[in-house]
Amino acid sequence: MTWPHGVGIGWRPEIAGFVAELPGLRFVEVVAESLAAGGPLPAGLAALRERGVTVVPHGVRLSLGGAEPVDPHRVAHLARVAELVDAPLVSEHVAFVRAGGLEAGHLLPLPRTREAVTAVVANVRRAQAELPVPLALEPIAALFDWPDDELDEADFLTEILDATGAGLLLDVANVYANARNRGDDPHALLDRLPLERISYVHVAGGAERDGLYHDTHTDPVPAEVLELVGALCARRPPPALLLERDGHYPPAAALRAELDALAVAAGHPVVT
Amino acid sequence: MSTPHPAGPTPPTGLAARQAALVATLVAGAPVPAGFVTDRVDAARAALLRKRAGEVARHWPLLAAGLGDAWWGTFRDWAAGRPTAGSLRDGWDLARELRDRGALPPLGAEELVVREAAHHYDGEQPPRHRRLPAFARAGDAVALQFAGRVRLLRPARR
Repeated sequence: MTWPHGVGIGWRPEIAGFVAELPGLRFVEVVAESLAAGGPLPAGLAALRERGVTVVPHGVRLSLGGAEPVDPHRVAHLARVAELVDAPLVSEHVAFVRAGGLEAGHLLPLPRTREAVTAVVANVRRAQAELPVPLALEPIAALFDWPDDELDEADFLTEILDATGAGLLLDVANVYANARNRGDDPHALLDRLPLERISYVHVAGGAERDGLYHDTHTDPVPAEVLELVGALCARRPPPALLLERDGHYPPAAALRAELDALAVAAGHPVVT
Repeated sequence: MSTPHPAGPTPPTGLAARQAALVATLVAGAPVPAGFVTDRVDAARAALLRKRAGEVARHWPLLAAGLGDAWWGTFRDWAAGRPTAGSLRDGWDLARELRDRGALPPLGAEELVVREAAHHYDGEQPPRHRRLPAFARAGDAVALQFAGRVRLLRPARR
């Protein structure tokens, strides 16, 4: 039940063996929907819990940004999973993933409007009422914006966090991706986000395709993202940073090098 | 709540309707709603398809491996404008369509017959385990299920 601290990695079955052998590891994240609410935990994850490694369930399908009320069964699942791993907190996204009876298959951006703030705040409060632990919210990477934004990203997020008391799960790769694709300065966004509310930080790799930067989680972490991690830490060091990798897993040495680079950029002890 | 939209088909109002219209654009072939940057929405649509192709390949590894370099193009052409029914059923529906066109590679045929011998799937409802013994065939590939055990009786012709 220890709050996330230091450098962690997203636990995935494909890299369970690699993660199990990281001697300094103190926290991981697991996709909440991949766990059975009634247990048992996958063996690798259970072994980490026995070692005292903090496990944070990370929801990806709650659709807190949907105009419809969040599905209570999905919230209940997240709550039970949080208890199953004795989590100190859980996290989800400021996004929607379905509408009109169709699944989008990924996280979609909200219009940055008052109406959307109201909808997401209502859903976050519904979730918080049922969750046994605090909730942290993650802004997403988006390839497009809605045409009628009324708020900029910093104001939009700050209003949601202020109204809900939720923590901020800041994904530095998403900050980089959005700024690059919009032609904005990512440091300017860091200057305006409520960094004191950060619960932990995500870092992931991506790649450019057809002139757009895609936050793929299947490519190496670019140097620019690591530099932005350094810029964030110079402003206010976050308590914990987590590497997300979701496919095209590289050899163990390459993954260890990414974790080490993240630790160095953030001034945390290496975990490898 | 929002600034007026440019001219176009009568835009939906209200967040629920607008979110539904956007998802329909991204996964069901609906036109891009007025006001959005078309190139960017197209890029998001392609990225969603690529992610979906990867997820279906994880559920149907032999089908994807059998198609090799043609997997992505085959999946994209089949899936564009067709909302997902989940990775298992997406791959199943695609494998059946390829079978019917005579375009199912041997590895995919074997994966399909093993699944079809074990499960009843009507294309509408989620697949469920068969209780009675069953044969399944696709081209030359034949599988038999008896008492829940599935055997590939005859492989597909290479």
